[in-house]
Amino acid sequence: MRRDVFQAIADPNRRAIIGLLADQKLTLSGVAEHFDISRPAISKHIKILAQCGLVVVHRQGRESYCEARLEKLNEVSDWVEQYRKLWEQRFERLDGYLSELQKKERKHGEK
Amino acid sequence: MAKSNDIAERGKQDLIIIHVFDAPRELVWKAWTDPEHFKRWWGPKDYTCPFCEMDLRVGGKYLNCMRSPEGREYWSTGVYREINPMERIVFTDCFADAQGNVVPAAQYGLSPDFPLEMLVEVTFEEQDGKTKMTLKHRGMPTGPDHEGAQQGWNESFDKLAESLK
Repeated sequence: MRRDVFQAIADPNRRAIIGLLADQKLTLSGVAEHFDISRPAISKHIKILAQCGLVVVHRQGRESYCEARLEKLNEVSDWVEQYRKLWEQRFERLDGYLSELQKKERKHGEK
Repeated sequence: MAKSNDIAERGKQDLIIIHVFDAPRELVWKAWTDPEHFKRWWGPKDYTCPFCEMDLRVGGKYLNCMRSPEGREYWSTGVYREINPMERIVFTDCFADAQGNVVPAAQYGLSPDFPLEMLVEVTFEEQDGKTKMTLKHRGMPTGPDHEGAQQGWNESFDKLAESLK
């Protein structure tokens, strides 16, 4: 299944989990304590966040620790940056094209 | 904490570009909505646009192609959501194949985190014989387990920024 950052943050519980993990590493039960939803539901959210690369889960002895990977969110601004460049290049060409068109029109008008 | 807030703040931005064209609004509108004009500028520098079809009505589809100097083709398709002649045009934007089927950005070798569907809103205003164009480009979250396909990311990012406080 296709997973992306946008999908990860579309869910309020997942946003809350990222917020919680932003300043601390927590075990699965540690995360679950903060929510009213079931532990399996929390596990499912963590799994989705892990698939999106926003959370990593380390096993340490008998416990699984969850840690947030916020740098993944940068990909969103990378996306925006790539498009900004593309649009700017297009508009530069459109500038040139529009002036070309208007020159032609003026010439036409003079005849 | 400040750091994670910064990241969320940066991430939540829509792409907004304002550009003033030294041309009357009718001409700028034509450049956007007439395939023959459109083909002349759609690609970045040195790219060509060998194909452009537009079914210019709300619910109508378009399909176009940008070709790089190396001959690589990038097809896009989408549906017109709003058409207000000379003033505003809103359409969805997806990567496509040459048949107009939507494909993920990863198929073009781009990050799999590119959204599958994006929304482009363009407004045109007259300004002393020139045309001020405002373009907003944003991604829409997709996927089977999410509720609001129509929402931009902005809302999600606002909430994320909130949860990171």
